[in-house]
Amino acid sequence: MATDIHGEAEVGKAYDARLIRRLWTYVRPYQRVFWLALLLSPVNQFFDLVRPYLVKIGIDRYIAHGDRSGLVRLGCLYVGAIVGDFLSAYGQQYLTMVVAQRSLADLRVAAFARVQRFPMRFFDRNPVGRVVSRLTTDVDVLQEMFAAGAMTILLDVLKLAGIVAFMLSLNWRLALTSLALLPLMILGIDYFRRMARKTYRMIRERIGRINGYLQEAISGMSAIALAGREARAFVEFDRLNSDHRDANHLSNKLEAALFSFVEAVSTVSIAFMLWEGGRLHRTDLVELGTVVAFIQYIQQFFVPIRDFSAKYAVMQSSMTAAERIFGLLDLETEPTPARARVPARVRGEIEFEHVWYSYKEAGARPAAGAALGAAAPPWVLRDVSFRIAAGEHVAIVGATGAGKTTVIKLLDRLYDVQRGRILVDGIDVREWDPAALRRRIAVVLQDVFLFSGPVEANITLGRTDIPRAAVEAAAVHVNADGFIRRLGGYEAPVRERGSNLSGGQRQLLAFARALAHDPAVLVLDEATSSVDPETEWLIQDALVKLLEGRTALVIAHRLSTIENADRILVLHKGELREQGTHRELLERGGIYARLYRMQYAAERPAPARAAAQP
Amino acid sequence: MARLWRYVMRYRLRYLGGVACLLGATSLQMAVPWLLKQCIDAVARDAAPRALLGYLGLIVVIALAQGVVRTFSRFIIFNAGRDIEYDLRNDLFRHLETLPLAFYQQRHTGDLMSRLVNDVTAVRMLLGPGLLNFINTPVAYLYGLAIMLSFDVRLTLAALAVYPVAFLVVKRTSRLLMERALRVQEGLGELSSRVQENLSGIHVVKSYAGEEHEIQTFARLNQRFQELNLRLARVRGFVFPVMGIVSSTGSLVVLVYGGQEVMAGRLSVGDLAMFIAYLYQLAWPTMALGWMLSILQRGRAAMQRLNELLAVEPAIASPPGATAPERVAGEVALRGVSFRYPGGGDGAPVLDDVDLNVPAGRTIAIVGRTGSGKSSLVQLLPRLFDVGAGAVLLDGRDIRTLPLDWLRRQVGLVPQDPFLFSRTIRENVALALDGDGDGRVEWAVGMAALARDLEGFPRGLDTVVGERGVTLSGGQKQRVALARALAAAPRVLVLDDALASVDAETERTILDQLRGFFRERTTILVAHRLTTVKEADLICVLDEGRIVELGDHESLLARGGVYADLFRQQALEVELEAI
Repeated sequence: MATDIHGEAEVGKAYDARLIRRLWTYVRPYQRVFWLALLLSPVNQFFDLVRPYLVKIGIDRYIAHGDRSGLVRLGCLYVGAIVGDFLSAYGQQYLTMVVAQRSLADLRVAAFARVQRFPMRFFDRNPVGRVVSRLTTDVDVLQEMFAAGAMTILLDVLKLAGIVAFMLSLNWRLALTSLALLPLMILGIDYFRRMARKTYRMIRERIGRINGYLQEAISGMSAIALAGREARAFVEFDRLNSDHRDANHLSNKLEAALFSFVEAVSTVSIAFMLWEGGRLHRTDLVELGTVVAFIQYIQQFFVPIRDFSAKYAVMQSSMTAAERIFGLLDLETEPTPARARVPARVRGEIEFEHVWYSYKEAGARPAAGAALGAAAPPWVLRDVSFRIAAGEHVAIVGATGAGKTTVIKLLDRLYDVQRGRILVDGIDVREWDPAALRRRIAVVLQDVFLFSGPVEANITLGRTDIPRAAVEAAAVHVNADGFIRRLGGYEAPVRERGSNLSGGQRQLLAFARALAHDPAVLVLDEATSSVDPETEWLIQDALVKLLEGRTALVIAHRLSTIENADRILVLHKGELREQGTHRELLERGGIYARLYRMQYAAERPAPARAAAQP
Repeated sequence: MARLWRYVMRYRLRYLGGVACLLGATSLQMAVPWLLKQCIDAVARDAAPRALLGYLGLIVVIALAQGVVRTFSRFIIFNAGRDIEYDLRNDLFRHLETLPLAFYQQRHTGDLMSRLVNDVTAVRMLLGPGLLNFINTPVAYLYGLAIMLSFDVRLTLAALAVYPVAFLVVKRTSRLLMERALRVQEGLGELSSRVQENLSGIHVVKSYAGEEHEIQTFARLNQRFQELNLRLARVRGFVFPVMGIVSSTGSLVVLVYGGQEVMAGRLSVGDLAMFIAYLYQLAWPTMALGWMLSILQRGRAAMQRLNELLAVEPAIASPPGATAPERVAGEVALRGVSFRYPGGGDGAPVLDDVDLNVPAGRTIAIVGRTGSGKSSLVQLLPRLFDVGAGAVLLDGRDIRTLPLDWLRRQVGLVPQDPFLFSRTIRENVALALDGDGDGRVEWAVGMAALARDLEGFPRGLDTVVGERGVTLSGGQKQRVALARALAAAPRVLVLDDALASVDAETERTILDQLRGFFRERTTILVAHRLTTVKEADLICVLDEGRIVELGDHESLLARGGVYADLFRQQALEVELEAI
C-alpha cells in the first residue's frame, strides 16, 4: 500500500499534458469565466495594438491635411481604445484570478478531505510539516502559474502574431525590415533561456538549502552550542549563503544583459526601419505616420519575448507542485467495507478473538536497521482473546510496552489487526461503517488533544446535534463546569494544544467531550501525570459518573480504578497473561501482584509542582 | 536605518560605480527620442540618405553603448543588494549563534525563519531595485522634461498632466497591494496552522468521527483565504493596466493637441514622435517610483524587525579577557546553587540552594523523580543556562569566568532528547571535531554500541539521518548523541538520562565498555535504571530541587529513604521483565 509521500522532486518539464488535464478538472466548474477571461485577451490585444494605427491615421489623414475636426474625432476613438484597453486588461487579469482562486480552493479542500481519510499509518510515517506544505505552499505555487501570467505564454504568441499582422497590413517592406533582427533576437533569448533555466533552478535549490539549514540550526542551536560548533556552523552557513548569492549574481548579470539586449535590439531595429522608411518615403511607398506607428510596434514587439524566460520558470515549478499535490491525492485512503453496517443501537459488547498485531506491516520493507526482518514482525499483541459484556467495566494493566494502548487503537479501528478479529456487538469492526463505530466508542487518551477554538467546539468536536444544554450538562456532570466558567464560559477560547489549561482541566474537558457524545463504549487511558489533590478528587468523582451505564475499558493508573473494576486484564509483553478481580489476582501472586506493588501500592502524593523542564 | 547605512557604505564604491553607469545609461537612453525626431524630420523632407545615415548610425551606436552600460548599472546595483543580503544574513546567523537556549525556548522557529528569509529579502529589495529606481526616475525626468520643455512648454505640461495622478494611484495601490498581500500571507499562515493542528490531532478527529466537520471548518477557512486572495487580485490586476493608460493618454494629448500645433506649423511630425517616445520612456519610471515608496516602507519595517533581533544581548557569553587554564583536572562543584527557568514565573525554584562536590575522576549519579531538577542541574554545567544564585565551579573556578567555548569542550553533555542533524551519522558524531576526527568517530561509534546497527544501514556511517533523525529509533538517536560526546573526549562527561530509550542489555554493554573511559574523567550520570546508578562512586538523590540523600548505593539502601523506595520498585520491574 502506498502511504508515503516524497520530499524533494526534480525540477521537470514546463508542460505536462497529463497534469494539465488533471488540473483542468478543477478549472472546469468555472470554465465559463475561464473562457471569458481567455476571450478578453485578444480583445485587449486589439485595443493595445490599434492605438499606434490610430496615430498613423491621425498623422497621415488629418494632420497632413489640416483636418482639425477629423483629428478630434480620431481623438475620441483613441479615448475609446484606452478605456477598452484598461477594462479588458483589468477584466482579463481579475477573471483569471477568480478562476485560479476558485479552482485552487477546490483543489485544496479536495486534498484536505482526502488526507482526512488516510489511515493512521500514513500519519505515523509522514512528518506533519511535509503534508502541510503540500496543501499550502504547493497550491500557492500553482496560483503563481495563473497570477504571473504563465498561462498566457500562448496568448503572448498570439499578440506577436497580431503585431506582425498590423505591421504587414500597413507596409510589408517596412515590416520585414523591422523584423530583420528577429532571428538574432530569438537566438539571443534562447541562449539566455538555457542559461537562465540553470540559474533559476540553482537559486531555488540554494535558497531551499539555506531555509533547511536555518530551520535545523535554529531548532538545534543548543546541540551546536554544546559541541562548540558555532564557528564551523557559521562557515557552513556562509558557504550556503554565498552559493546563493553567487547564483543570484549570475542571474542578475544574465537578466541585466537580457534586459539591455532586448532594448538595444529593438532600438537598432527601429534604426533599420527608419532607414527603409526614408527610402520608401522618397518614392511615396510609405506615409510618414506609418513610420511613426512602426516605432511603437517595434517597442511593443520585444516585451513579451523578454518575459518568456520568467514565465517558463514559473511553469516548471508549477508542474512540480502539481505533481506533488496529485501524488498526495493518489494515495490510498482508509479501507471502508463495501457494505458497511450501521446498527441502529449499540449495546457495547466487545470481543477480541486471537488478535495479533504489529506496527510493522507484514511483508513491508523493514525499517533501516531493524533487527527483525519481514518474516517475523515484532508483534505488539500476540494471540489476545477476551470478551467484555455490555455494561461491564474492565481495567487493563501492564508494564510500559505491554500493548495496552494498542488494544484501544485496534478497538477504535485506527489500525487493522493482522490476524484474528475484533467484534463489537458481534460484528467484525472491519464490517462496521468506521464513522458509526467510532461515534459509539468514545476514546479519552492520556495526552488529551485540544484544538484551538471555543470550549464548546472542543466538547462537541463539530457534532451539530449536541445542543448547548447537553454540552453544559455533560460538563457539569464531570465537574468541568466550574473551571470552564472561570475561564469565561463555553465560548471562551482554548489555546493551541490547550496550553491555557492545566493537566487536570484538560482531563476533565476530555471527559465532558466523551460524555457529550453519549457513547455505548467508553475507552480511557488514564493520565499518569500528577495533579493536585483537589483536582484528583474531581477527576475520580467524574470518572465514576462517566462510566455509569456503559461498557468501559480503562487502562488503569489509579488504584481506585482497578479496585472498582469488574474485571482486570493483565497484559504482559503483548500477551494476555492473567485476568480476574483485583482480589483474585492479588491472591494469585503473579504478574499482577508485582505490578500492583510496583505501580499502585506505592501510590502517594505526587510532587506538588510540575516539571518546568524544557 | 543607521545599520542599513553602514552596510551600504561597505559597498559604496560599487554603488558609486553602479550609479555612474546608471547615469550614463539613462543619459544615452534619453538621447534616442531626440534622434528619432531628427530622423523622422529628415524622412519627412525626403532628405538625402547620407543625412539620415548620420543620425541612424548615432542611434545604433548609442543603442549598443547604452546596452553595455545599462547591463553594468543593473547588475552592479542589484548585486550590491545581494551582497548586503548575504552580509546581513550572515550577521544574523552569527548573532543567533551567540544567543542562549532560553532565547530559543521563548521564540518560535517560524518567526525567526521569517526574519532571516522574508525581512532580509525586503531589505534587499530596497537596496537593489529600490535604490536603482530612486535614482533613475529623477534623472530620466530631468532629461525628458528639459528636452520636451525646450520644444513646447504647454504640450509638455498637458501631456504629462496625467503622470502625477498615475504616480499617486500607483503609490496608493502599491500600499494597498502590500497590505492585502500581508493579509493573504496571514491567511495562509492561519490555514497552515489549522492543517498542522488537524494532523497533530488526527487521532482525536478519527476517534470522534469528526472528519466531516474538520473538512467543513477547513473549507470555511479556505473560503476566507480565497476571498482575501481575490481582494488582493482586485488591486494587483490594477497596476499594469494603469501603466497602459498613462503612456497612451500622453500619446493622445500629443496626437490631438500636438497635431494642432503641427497644423499651425509650430511643431513637426518628428516632434510628435519624439514626445510620444519620451512619454513612453517616462511611464515606467513614474510607476516605479510609486512602487518603490512602498518598498521603502516595507524595507524599513523589515530592518526594524532585524534590528530588534540583533539588539538581543547574548546573555551567556565568555567574559571579556577570560583565559583558559592550561590544565584541567575535572573537579566539579556546585555552591549554593539556586535556579529558575527564565520566564518561568516566580514559583518555587527548580533548584534550591544545592551544594555538591564531584572530585576529579569520579563518577556521580543523580537520581530523583520527574521534575526533581536533575536535568536542570546538569544543564547548568556547560552553561546552557546560568545559575540564579550561587556558582558552578570547575577546578575551583567559577565557570562564568572561563571562556565559553573552552568550557564546553571540557564538559560534554549528552541531553535527554538529542538533536540530530539531517546529515550523515559520521557528521553527526563528528559534530564537535575538526574534520572527520581521524578514527575517533569509529571508536566512539563502537563505544556507543552502534556498530551493529550501522551494519544494517545502507551506507553505514555515511547513511544520512532523515529529517530530525526520524529514520532512527529513539535508542539509536541517543547512542549517536552519546558517540558525539565521546568522540570529543571531554574532561567532564555528563549523561542526562541519555540512555533512557536504549534497552537494558545494550546499556549494560555500553557502560561496561566505557568503564575505562569513565575512570579517566569526571562522569555525571542522570539515570533511571538503578542498576546503572549502583556502581557510581556517589549517588545524589534530588527531590523538589534539593539534595535529599547523598552517599553510595549501600549506605542509601540501608537508609531506607527515597532511594531505597526507587530501588525496590525497579527490582520488581526487572523481575517482571524476566517473566
